[in-house]
Amino acid sequence: MIEQAVFWILGAIMVAGALGVILMPNTINSVMSLLLSMLSLAGFYILMGAHVVALFQIIVYVGAVLVLFLYVIMLLNLKEKGLKLPMEASTWAIGGMSLGLVFVVAWLFWQSLRETVFTGDAGTTDAPATIHQLAIDLFSQHLLIFELTSVLLLVAVIGAIIISKK
Amino acid sequence: MGFYHYLSFGIILFSIGVVGFIIRNNTVVLLMSVELMLNSVNLIFVAFSRYLHGTEGQVYVFITMAIAAAEVAVGLAIVISIYRLFGTLDISKIKLLKG
Repeated sequence: MIEQAVFWILGAIMVAGALGVILMPNTINSVMSLLLSMLSLAGFYILMGAHVVALFQIIVYVGAVLVLFLYVIMLLNLKEKGLKLPMEASTWAIGGMSLGLVFVVAWLFWQSLRETVFTGDAGTTDAPATIHQLAIDLFSQHLLIFELTSVLLLVAVIGAIIISKK
Repeated sequence: MGFYHYLSFGIILFSIGVVGFIIRNNTVVLLMSVELMLNSVNLIFVAFSRYLHGTEGQVYVFITMAIAAAEVAVGLAIVISIYRLFGTLDISKIKLLKG
């Protein structure tokens, strides 16, 4: 009962935050809405028993990515006057078409999943994966991907420095 | 709550990201829409990991987060150089390729 209430409240906050990101005229307000959305997403992860992912969501997204966004907005001193949406009919047509495409893909996905039976509520039936299992999986089967990701991060850092250099 | 609830929220979040990417002109908001889409994929990954009782979904979420962080770092560097070059972040005013 409490879990359901928390789920729906978090979901409402998440959707409202996401709508705020794309509809707020001021970029700072967009970042703040994104913050709201990310925090409620972390709440979703906790509801599903993925505590490690929730922790990383807060550390990586709220602690690093959003701060980076805020720094860039402050650095550029962006001032926008009102929400300016494109008026061309083609933009709206492309938007509607891509939205329709998303829903078609989602519907196909849904149809293919209908036969599968997902049992149990998150957090109440068998225990979710612990950090121990997660670490063993990450550092045995997925070790190569992990190392490649660290190389990618290094390349991205060097690339960001070179691109933003005067 | 069942698997389909989380899946539906992931799809809703992805749709909002797609619409934001198409209708906004501000480059920073475009990057934020991409973040929304990446996060919806993360949500679906974690939901699958939870309901299929595996760890792979969560491992992939870590990888996705690292990719997203790299993407934001490079993307914001590009935003800064675009702003230096054009003095604006409105993508409808940046038309070097239009000839």
